[in-house]
Amino acid sequence: MTSLELTINGARRVVDANPGDTLLEVLRRAGHVGVKKGCGSGDCGACTVLLDGRAVNACLVLAAKAEKRAILTIEGLANGDALHPIQEAFLDEGAVQCGYCTPGMVLSAYDLLSRNPTPSEGEIREAISGNLCRCTGYVKQIRAVQTAAERMRSGRNG
Amino acid sequence: MEDTTRWAMRGTTACKHGKPGPLVSARGDGNNRREEREGDVEDVGLHRIQSIARPTTADEAWRLRTADPETTRFLGGGIDLILYTPETVTTLIDVSRLGRAGVSAGRAGLAISAGTTLSRILEAPEIAAYAGGFLRDVLRQVASPLQRNVATIGGAVARAHPWSDVVLALLVLDADVEVFDGAARSVPAADFYASRSQNVAPLVTGIRLPKRAPSTRGAFEKFARTGFDVGLLNCACVVEVAKGTCSRVRVAVGGTPALARRLPDVEAALEGKRPSSATIGDAASLAARGVDARDDRRASELYRRTLTEVGVRRCFERLTRDGMEGAL
Repeated sequence: MTSLELTINGARRVVDANPGDTLLEVLRRAGHVGVKKGCGSGDCGACTVLLDGRAVNACLVLAAKAEKRAILTIEGLANGDALHPIQEAFLDEGAVQCGYCTPGMVLSAYDLLSRNPTPSEGEIREAISGNLCRCTGYVKQIRAVQTAAERMRSGRNG
Repeated sequence: MEDTTRWAMRGTTACKHGKPGPLVSARGDGNNRREEREGDVEDVGLHRIQSIARPTTADEAWRLRTADPETTRFLGGGIDLILYTPETVTTLIDVSRLGRAGVSAGRAGLAISAGTTLSRILEAPEIAAYAGGFLRDVLRQVASPLQRNVATIGGAVARAHPWSDVVLALLVLDADVEVFDGAARSVPAADFYASRSQNVAPLVTGIRLPKRAPSTRGAFEKFARTGFDVGLLNCACVVEVAKGTCSRVRVAVGGTPALARRLPDVEAALEGKRPSSATIGDAASLAARGVDARDDRRASELYRRTLTEVGVRRCFERLTRDGMEGAL
């Protein structure tokens, strides 16, 4: 094991890791269990986190490659008790069922809206195309991202 | 990624952090046998990684790689190594510090450094303006945004999966691959893949796309089971249009199931021609007959020949509809 210095949700953390550990394994061991383990092969998107502002599959990133880069997990999105507008929109639109895909879906939406405040439906579909939901038909998640985009543009939340 | 390969590569009796646990389930046989045991975690090849080297020059990286070819691999974005770590590999050579990632335009065309992610390439304004946005449109159909944010062009070129959309696109764009194998050199992409039998493949350091006429256009067609699954077959064409006729025609087909190759007979059949439905139909038929299609468990040879005909026809029909009409 070696020590890795990671910046997780704005806080510097020193964690023990093997050279072959994935970011998913290290984050979950560090207590960030909002980063879900699904397929382990980049197909489902349940482990999505932001690395330097871009959504990635944490199962397909070596933890060592995340050193000195900014990691954002779902736990770092809310501001204290106040949920992020995307999280609020997912609740308001009923875009959560079992919830396993939700952290990844929300973070992919966050990546999209931080670069494109006015996405088309096609752009939203493309942005969340790496996040599989086994419960629903994606309609409510797409509506939630549209709602979040509207609220973020107008400075409203809920 | 291909299902049974993935099972085989990650399915093992070894437990990542200790001895094998009790057998929970098993499926498949031979090399495709996958056993699941209590305590198993995936990505089993990774637990053998003992160190990650971080060279800052290509020469240093190459010396590390050639000093022990069996136990080392170059590490780019890392996706492929995580999914398919060879069991002999114990040291990864992280090549991300060898150059600054990005796309730059020069007098001879575009230069893309090997460490540039596919997302960054498809978002680059230089790429949107190049060959009518052909490469951008291809990259948009490669894997998912989550993977494109990690995968590098150098990794895609070096790994060269037979179904690679990236390799296919670079072939029809007449791209050069910049490599280092003790000395820096630049080779046409087709030659790079033709000479890959050497013991240690050269380190890919960049891609060069030649300057193209403003009338250059391209089209891409991929047949896959789902939106970001690997293709059963893919094909692409790039042409320059002048006075209503095609020139510098490039047509390639990949995932046949071999790595993409150009189809010179098809290119010759369209060179200097006006792309009418008759010439397009003839070219598509010629492609179907000439493609090196074979059976594998994902598709039959016959099906791949049919896909080739449909794909080539669609590519040229799309070019005619979207880009070339104004030039005709």
